Amino acid sequence: MEVNPDLVDFIPIGPPVELPFFCGPLDLLLHLIRKNEVSIYDIPIVTICDQYNEHIRAMQELDLEVAGEFLWMAAWLLQLKSKLLLPRAVEEEGDPREELVERLLAYRRVKELASILHDKDLVRQCIWPAGVRPDIGDEEVELDWEEVDLQLLAETYLDVMQSFAAAHPPPLEVLPLRYTVQDKMREIYHRILSDNLIPLMRHLNRRPDPEEAVALIVATLELVRLGAVRAEQRDPFTEIYLRKGERALDETEFQEPEDEVVDGP
Amino acid sequence: MDRDTLNALIEAVVLTARGPVDADSISLATDREVGEGAVEETLKEMSAQWEEAGRGIRLERSAGGWRCITPAQLDHYLRIFHGISSHQKLSQAALEVLALVAHRQPVTLPEINFIRGTNSSAVTRTLLERRLVRLAGRKKVVGKPFLYRTTKEFLLHFGLDRAEDLPDPEELVEAETASDA
Repeated sequence: MEVNPDLVDFIPIGPPVELPFFCGPLDLLLHLIRKNEVSIYDIPIVTICDQYNEHIRAMQELDLEVAGEFLWMAAWLLQLKSKLLLPRAVEEEGDPREELVERLLAYRRVKELASILHDKDLVRQCIWPAGVRPDIGDEEVELDWEEVDLQLLAETYLDVMQSFAAAHPPPLEVLPLRYTVQDKMREIYHRILSDNLIPLMRHLNRRPDPEEAVALIVATLELVRLGAVRAEQRDPFTEIYLRKGERALDETEFQEPEDEVVDGP
Repeated sequence: MDRDTLNALIEAVVLTARGPVDADSISLATDREVGEGAVEETLKEMSAQWEEAGRGIRLERSAGGWRCITPAQLDHYLRIFHGISSHQKLSQAALEVLALVAHRQPVTLPEINFIRGTNSSAVTRTLLERRLVRLAGRKKVVGKPFLYRTTKEFLLHFGLDRAEDLPDPEELVEAETASDA
């Protein structure tokens, strides 16, 4: 008979281990104590310890992540087991299981109360207060998969992009400088050398680009500051004439100053 | 104030109030014409009357006051009406932490972890989000851990007047141990 190789993997090796979900090592221990029908005050540590370890192994075989606290409890049980197997050296030391019993009792109380809350919860969640239930908004809308077609997907995409765009306005775009102050300084200076005189306002009025006009003005101010150009005006609001100043500039002075930053447009 | 007016007033108050209403504030609304005790008596009577079949509104005492709720058996239809497929269930771990906080409050996370023998921080966070527990200051010990208490929502959800109304787990366990023996 041919065996389907896909099925072989699913044949369990060894006895099947029941693996209910446990809320921690104490939960597992209580389960074992109840299953073995032993008293919590007189735990047969050897039996319980072996069964506990079997559970841990089963969890590991199932690739469940065994949390550290389960291993810590395994170590504690092993320690108790070894203590109980050894002949008692000092009789008045008391029962080494005492602390474990205390912990189990405390946890059992919590479990009892939790189970009462569980029963109450089952009934109480069916009770509605006046007005809209506050957690209605928290419910995720359940989509019928049939309804999700490409159209809906595209619409959702557009919705998402729209809300993204609304939340993220376009950033300020910083364009490269089209006119530099240095170029304009050179331009004005050479023009003065050849023409001897520039009517600044007329010159500016012929430049429709405000960026160029700003570069021109800053360049003019810079040239005046350096003493290479003199600006003259006969009356307020009349034409400003640029003439050659007392200083002659060489080409290096048109380079951008290293530490003295001249703000361009 | 005659009986009918008092009954009507109480109905109107519990209908319009946001949360549970105590008898004292209703008495105050009548300018103390009706005493707190008389209001409380009337509330109890009304609560019993509303229990009858054929009514969709119940009067319940929880979280220190009275409020309107629906009978549990209507849940099926209400869920369809409000478009809710199922209620959010509390996990076993969440119920354990809730039980611990309710019984030993104020209590810190390390204490909860110790008694449960397992890490409970994720579960506690869920309970905080669901507003069933709240932070109540810090304990003055090393590390100053947060203290947790149950909330009014917790009382309302479980229909308790006060957290102390929960049964004492000691008694529960003792009863079980006695039946074991």
